[in-house]
Amino acid sequence: MTVLSESAIEYLLAFADDEHLMGQRYTEWIGVAPFLEEDLALASIGQDELGHAAMLYAIVAGDDDSAIDRLALLRDADDYRSSWLVEAEFPGWEHTLVRHWLYDAAEELRWELVSGSTVPGLAAAAERAGREESYHRRHADALVDALLGVPESAERLQNALTEVLPLALGLFEAVDGEAMAISEGVATAPFESRRSLWQARVAARFNGTDLGRLPAPDQDRRRRRSPDFAPLMARMREVYNLDPSAVW
Amino acid sequence: MEAFEGFLDDGGIVEPDDAMPDAYREAVFRFIEMHANSELMGGLTERDWIPRTPGLRHKMATLAKTQDEIGHGHLLYMVAADLGVKTRTGMLEDLFAGRSRFHNVFHYRAKTWGDQVAIAFLVDAAALVSQQAVFKVCSYGPYRRILKRIIAEEGFHMRFGEERMLRIAEGTDVQRSMFQRSINDWWWPALQLFGPDSRPDDVLLRWHIKSERNEVLRDRWVQKFVPLLQGYGFAIPDPGLAFDEEEGHWVSGPIDWEPLEKTVQQAGPDSARRIGEAAANWADSQWVRDALDRVAALPDVA
Repeated sequence: MTVLSESAIEYLLAFADDEHLMGQRYTEWIGVAPFLEEDLALASIGQDELGHAAMLYAIVAGDDDSAIDRLALLRDADDYRSSWLVEAEFPGWEHTLVRHWLYDAAEELRWELVSGSTVPGLAAAAERAGREESYHRRHADALVDALLGVPESAERLQNALTEVLPLALGLFEAVDGEAMAISEGVATAPFESRRSLWQARVAARFNGTDLGRLPAPDQDRRRRRSPDFAPLMARMREVYNLDPSAVW
Repeated sequence: MEAFEGFLDDGGIVEPDDAMPDAYREAVFRFIEMHANSELMGGLTERDWIPRTPGLRHKMATLAKTQDEIGHGHLLYMVAADLGVKTRTGMLEDLFAGRSRFHNVFHYRAKTWGDQVAIAFLVDAAALVSQQAVFKVCSYGPYRRILKRIIAEEGFHMRFGEERMLRIAEGTDVQRSMFQRSINDWWWPALQLFGPDSRPDDVLLRWHIKSERNEVLRDRWVQKFVPLLQGYGFAIPDPGLAFDEEEGHWVSGPIDWEPLEKTVQQAGPDSARRIGEAAANWADSQWVRDALDRVAALPDVA
């Protein structure tokens, strides 16, 4: 296994944590989506995101389940680098769909930044994830497109967008180590450099949305957790905590 | 009907567009509808535990299993809808209104991770035994074809459950005592899944929808799981259980059918919560279905 710098690790963990918690959020929707095909689609997308997280954690910790789980489940809250968008627990399916659209539009750009990475395994992961992501975007876009076409559902989506969009801006917030990681060849450019392209796509999709005056969440370089993180992590560790010495 | 029954006795296979007696159509439909409902409600039972699965890749496997179950429900609803008795939406609405049935085991709550494993191990095995017996002869063609795929996937689920059970059986005291409690809670519901002894006039048998009597299938399951669980040092919560040395055969104690009867009346231990939550979720997302219906109804202006 290649020895990665602290900066490279921090950069990769931020990406992995976002993928992990995004996937985790999808697992909560199976069986309660608006129709059966959507149950299956969300489960399948969640499966992909968890798979991406596993690939990224494995690049950091080695391809071993317990090493991956130490990173995925057992760090202190302060050591996670997730964005508040993926930590957030939303009340409605409309929020989930809007987050799905916004997250996957950003994720595509994020993988592109590491598609020529010098980190062993990362370019290959980007290629695989890129293929899967095109399905995710198509899925989110088809539903958003249809639901924006009907006034009642369009209003719901726009209201959800108002709540979700500020959090989504936080996706682009860099960790401290990002600049160093880029200089080491982990990625080609800061994620923030893709924000204007993403915003243009958001504005085009959600007609007339003003992205100019939104406050981004106070994530403190992704070192601060949102209020939804603790209950989410407690649920994820509930079985594990019954007996940390056990193999489940 | 006599000619139709002769056709079935000769191994005839009925397809959706074929003429069939109303009673046969109704019986096949009820059977498939209940199977579809059970896949969906089973997925909801397991759903509680997916986000809590200990481990990232482990969670992917748990999610994949539940995804399969919901997928089975999806396929089965289509097969059932083709019979023209109810639409898929009609079936879902009946389910969420408590008007149609699903298997007894999904009227119970999975309270611990041990329960989750017990479902994958004991309950899925019971369902698999039943499905195999239907697949063997089933006279309704589309159901038989779908069952082939379902049985293949359920085989994976059972091995998944077995693997998880092994980790627990070879694990710590905390794990083992949790799983013993789960066996105590799930043994009887899983055994009752097969139903009381088949009646002599059971039309499901006469019309070759099922191939074997309930008591035969139940017994097959008991023969497998008693020695397996005892072999791992777990106790079977049946004080009347006895081994017939001459026949080399396990014999269950008397079965109390009251709990099964309760689930049939939608009054099982978790029926109200389970159906209520599913109904509330369905109502909450009505706006999505309404909007998509309207989009589908718009004239194509492109």
